[in-house]
Parts: sequence; structure tokens; C-alpha cells
Amino acid sequence: MSIPENTELETPLIDQRRIADSRNELRPDVAHTGFNPALGRIPVPETMSIPLDSVLDFVPSWTARRIPLKCIGLTLPEGIEFLPPPKPKLAQGDGTELRKIAPPKKLVENEEGEEKGPPKVTRIKPPADALSLQDRLFYLLQPPLESWLAGQELIMPFEPFSYQYEGIAWLFSSNSALLADEMGLGKTMQTITAIRLLLRSGQARRIVLICPKPLIPNWQREFRTWAEELPVVTVEGNGARRRMLWTMPGIPILIANYELMARDIAEIPEDEQPKFDLLVLDEAQRIKNRESNTAVTARSIRRRRSWALTGTPIENRPEELGALFEFLEVIPKGGSPDIRQLSKLAKKYILRRTKDVVMKDMPPRIDRDAELELTDAQESAYRIAEKEGIIQLNDLGDSITVQHVFELVLRLKQIANFDPLTGESAKLERLMADMEEISASGGKAILFSQWTKAIDWLAPHLKAFNPLVYHGGVPTKQREPILAKFKQDPNAHILLMSYGTGAVGLNLQFAGYVFLFDRWWNPAIEDQAINRAHRIGVKNPVIVTRFISKNTIEERIDRVLREKRELFEAILGEGDNNNQSLSLNASEIFGLFDLKARHKDGSKSIGPKPVGGEAA
Amino acid sequence: METIEIDGRGHIGGLLITNQNGRPLEFQCTTPVRPNRTQEILFGETLRPWLLGELIGSTLLDRVAIKPSVIITSDPCLLELRNHTTVPVAFAEEAVPERGRSQNPEQTDRRSGTEASVNGEGRLKIGGSILRFHDAHGVDAETLGRQKHLIPNSANLQEPLERVREALAETVRTVFAR
Repeated sequence: MSIPENTELETPLIDQRRIADSRNELRPDVAHTGFNPALGRIPVPETMSIPLDSVLDFVPSWTARRIPLKCIGLTLPEGIEFLPPPKPKLAQGDGTELRKIAPPKKLVENEEGEEKGPPKVTRIKPPADALSLQDRLFYLLQPPLESWLAGQELIMPFEPFSYQYEGIAWLFSSNSALLADEMGLGKTMQTITAIRLLLRSGQARRIVLICPKPLIPNWQREFRTWAEELPVVTVEGNGARRRMLWTMPGIPILIANYELMARDIAEIPEDEQPKFDLLVLDEAQRIKNRESNTAVTARSIRRRRSWALTGTPIENRPEELGALFEFLEVIPKGGSPDIRQLSKLAKKYILRRTKDVVMKDMPPRIDRDAELELTDAQESAYRIAEKEGIIQLNDLGDSITVQHVFELVLRLKQIANFDPLTGESAKLERLMADMEEISASGGKAILFSQWTKAIDWLAPHLKAFNPLVYHGGVPTKQREPILAKFKQDPNAHILLMSYGTGAVGLNLQFAGYVFLFDRWWNPAIEDQAINRAHRIGVKNPVIVTRFISKNTIEERIDRVLREKRELFEAILGEGDNNNQSLSLNASEIFGLFDLKARHKDGSKSIGPKPVGGEAA
Repeated sequence: METIEIDGRGHIGGLLITNQNGRPLEFQCTTPVRPNRTQEILFGETLRPWLLGELIGSTLLDRVAIKPSVIITSDPCLLELRNHTTVPVAFAEEAVPERGRSQNPEQTDRRSGTEASVNGEGRLKIGGSILRFHDAHGVDAETLGRQKHLIPNSANLQEPLERVREALAETVRTVFAR
């Protein structure tokens, strides 16, 4: 401690130096102060030495200690392990060779050796409705699809296209999804692969897939191709067996057709109803009528995820999308979203890509309209039928119904195909000419007609080209061999199909020519038919010929349908030039003959049964 | 294993356990930890290796139920973890292809020797990545080299680290940002 020199002290300090120097000064003037004389003694301070401590009293100390940290953990569910497919097997029964796809290339170099950068990877994004951290981390921590499917664990027969990787990732992370890719872009493959990943990552253990009956062999075959290790069981047999299959646990993938689903699910008691991790509806336009038994049953099935597949989410009316959204459980029961809401929901829950956008390298589809003059006999028969028909319609007065008009349309369309009396047909003549050229070059063609009758009539006329017939009249068991023969027999040059049976789900990309002998009521269904041939795997351009008889009802129908093609672009997005278009409704059918609709509900659709039903 | 720094709140670390094909099995991440001023002064340059490797890394490794065969990171500071565990810890960096040299990993292996080590400097090439090990534990390269056949040649060892960083960022957004 130190005291500044100029500090004035009020009391004497014990300071040896100052005491020594001023001892006399310290002597108090006792008399003057009046204090006790004892105070007059000179203070004698004593000094003593204090030994220093060997350890200081206060030393700042710090020891490196491990700071306890908390952790957040996530254990990912174990997937189902399946028996690996037999390794030496290089080719399947249908000749499809399995091969490991090449791993993603690290860097792609062009001819000059310049690096183009890393290859594209497709990461799985957490869905918007996944709120918990664990759920979101589950998706974020999955590997990129390219490496997941790069043959490390899952053998893929072909490497998917990048848009297919995106579709797989989107499906994988979606609880509610409507995959509406244009026909031929591989909805089946994307669905199967997403199912495979769900099973392998433990996200699903029990899956049911519902499809139209004719497509069951197609799905079975596609599962064998894309996910050979997955056990697939088809619901079939008698009632007891089917019930056992529906309710038996431990079947990873169940396939059933719509009819059996509607029948069987209704018969299972409430407390025994099966529960699935995923319900997939193929050709989901089947439930567009939300009050139908099929739609009600599909919605009643207990499930955690709902996927719908269709190339034509809207066939006739925007309200059909509402039925699909209700199945996906993204709108309340009976909800009727308006166009704006539908558009918003579509952006969130619908994934739709068109060939124009994603398959720029795909050989083109060349459309050509063959506008044909009727033969004399056809012309005569047509004019008489039209004249008489219109007279009859006018005679009906107010009792006329759309059905009356529709019958006349059908009658005229049949005559435009061929004259029933003489058998003359301008379309057949043109077809024969084209087929001679096609067969001479070893090509194959598919012909679509609305009528099984027309197909049966055509078959003998086309005998030179070894025609094969595939329509609703052919027993289901015989259909697969017919398709196999068409593929393998070099002398079978033409396959005659009905729109109803042949328009969906079949892979016939080896056929380079498609003939639309007559027109369906909805171009979307025609597109489905055309895309049997013009789909992934096609190596050459597909030439599509639409037969249209000039100055007939066919020409008028074609004009109306063309005008309606763009009507729903607002819902499913622009640039969708293969978009849905409306079937003819009642008003438009009346309009074909300059008749006005007498029915109150002028918008009622009177088209024939949709695709998936049978041809008229 | 990866760590990220959160503005003003310190570091968090994450450990993703995958199988040899990169499929996720388990994930753990820490709460944020920030060194105080004393630690900053006293640890000096060793602060990051201590914080990331010893503190965060050891915590994560203790916590996971599935014990890994090797820990891979893109941060050299995390190599410090190797001094506190017997599990090999490797720092992965992208293998830069050399002009005119075969990119076939098998050929590279045959040419470079049976132990798949590159340049004999305790480094190992697997797939498109070069693995570097702690200077004091160079033997890890040989140990891992013997197990190399379990990892596919196509494996990208750096890719899962990207997933860890994304998961950490998601965790920060969801939990620690509150």
C-alpha cells in the first residue's frame, strides 16, 4: 500500500521514519488540549516480520473438462429383405435381359476432354406435409436415387431417364399422389420402383394395386422385369380364397382388378377389413364418378398412402379431378373445388409430364389425317340414312332424347366405315394399299376401331397380312399369346384392336404404324391408343393415320373435338398439347345435326362407355 | 461425420451411419456448442480440433447404437477424433483424375500395389475419393485397405457427407432456430 505525499492526515500514522524525525513534534500539548497527561507518552511502535506463504491464497484455475452435449437421434426403419433373384439368370422368359446399369459417372468429358461437371443426382425431398423433424430427416438422409438404384443393391434392367428418377423420388415421398404422365412415359416403371424403395426402406410392408382386369398380366410382367425379387400375389380364385388373400398379412404386394375389389371389400366385415400402407389405383379415371360403387369402395379401403395413376386425369369434366382428389384425401368428402382450387391442388398433388417436354430424343410421332371420299355405294347409303334419320328426329318433336341422336351418329359412323349391303369401304381400300407397303418392308401396324364388329369384318379382308384380333370378345387367357405372336411372328403384320380393350397399358412399341379406322369420342383416348406404339423404347418414328370420311359426321365430330382440345390447359398447365379434351356432350351431339338440346341438362355426357369398358 | 457452424450459436455435429452401399441406418446430431472466451484463449489453434473432434465427435460416437467400421469426414479437424477412439477416421477428398491415366479403379489398384494405397503416404483411393488419415495413425490406411472390397467401386464416399450437412441444416431450421 502506498500513500500520496500530499495527503493530509487527521490522525497520526505509525510510520517509523516520520516518528523518528518528529518525535518532539508528536508530543502533545496536554495542558492545551486538556487530555489526560497519560497521552503525553511517546508511542513506541513494535515491528515484527511476517513469513511469506509458500502457496498463494487465490490462484485462478481451469481444467479442461468435457462439456456434456445433448444429442438428437434417429434410427431409420429396417426394410424388408427379399431373397435375391438368381444371379446366373441373364434373361427372363420374355427375353428381357437383366443387366447392372452403369454407375453414375463422376465427370462427363466431351470429345475435347473438357469437363462438363458432375452428373445430375436426384435427391428425395421431404414432403410438404411432413412436419416432424424425424420424418423430414428420414427423406433427407436417403441416398440419391441414382446411387441407390445403381446396381449396388437393386438390379435395374434399364437405366431410368432423369424425369423418371424425379417421378420415383416424388412418389416415394408422397402420401397423396396423382401421377398423370402422358401415356408411354413409364408410369408403371416409376410406380414399381417407388414401391420397391418403400418396401426396401421399411416405409411400407403391405401394398395393394388395383387395375383393370386386362392389365393384370401386364403388371405381373412389369413387376418381374423391374423388381424381380418382390413377391406379387394376384387376387383371384373363389370367394374364400380371395378373402384369405385380402386379409392375410405378410403379402407385400397384392394386385386386384376393380371388379373384385368392389365385390370383395364390401363382403369383408368391418372388423376384418384389411389395412394397407399403400393403395395404388391404376387407370384411376375409373373412379371419376365419385358416387359409383367402385369409387366408394376404393375410398373405404384403409390405407396410409394413396396413389393414383392415369394418363387422362380429366376425360370429360374438371369435376372428375375432384373425385380423384377425394380419393387422395386432399379435399373433404363431397368437396367440389372450383377451377382455381383445382389448379392449386394440381400443382401440389399431380405430377404430369409430356413427351414433348421430357423425351426430346424420342423418335417423333407423325400424325396424318387421311381424308377419304366415300365410295359410291357408301355415299348413297350414307345420304339416305342421314336424311331419314333427321326426318325421324324431327318427327319425334319434344320427345327427342340425346339417345335418339346418338343412335343416328353411330349408324352414320358405321356406314362411313363400310357399306353394310355391298361391303364397299373407302377406308379398307386405303388400308390395303398402306398395308402392302408396310408388309413389304417388314413393318407392323396396329389398327383401332370402336366396334368389335368392324374388326371382325376387317380380319378376313386383311388375310394377306396375317391379322391378329384383340378385342373384348377374345377370352382373357388368349390375349397374352396374341400379343406375343404379334411381337415374334415376322409374318403377322397387323393387330386389330378395339379402343376399349387395347387402348391402355400395353407395350407395343415395336409397331411403327397406327391406324385409327374410326374415331373415338375423346382424343385423349385416341392418344392412349396411339401410345401403345409410341412409347419408351420405340426406335423409329411412329406414323399415325386417322381415317376421316369427308363430308360426313366424322368430319364434324373431328372439328368439334379439335376446338375443345385446349379447354383444360388452365388446369393442368400450359404446353400440354396432348392434354385432356372433352367427350362430346349432349348439346354438341344435337349440334351435329343443327338440333337443339331438348334435355334440361345440356351438359350431360352421352358418350359410350369409357375406355376400360368394352367397345360398343 | 460433419459439423456446421450456426451464426452466433456455435457448432453442431452430425453422424450418419450407413451400410456399405450408403443406405442410412442411424443418425445422431448434437445440440449447439460454443467455446467460451477462456477456451478460445487457452486452446488457441487447437480449439477447432478439440471442439469438433474430441468434444462433438466423441459425443456422437458414444451415442450411436451402431458402431461404425470407419468414420469419414470432409473436415481435417475431425481427424482429432482418432486420438480418442479406436475406429479409423478418414478425411475424404475428391480424387482428381490425371490426364492420360486410366480411370478404372481396378487398374489403378493393380498398378499402385496390393494394399490400394496411393503414393505410400497413408492415403487410400476408394471409388472417386482419396482418403487421408491422421498422421499418428497411418496404419488405418492399411486396415481399411483390407476391407476395401466391401465397398463398391462406384461408391461416392463424399456424397453421404452432403446428406449430413443437409440434415444438420434442417435440424437447425426446425429445432434450434426456435
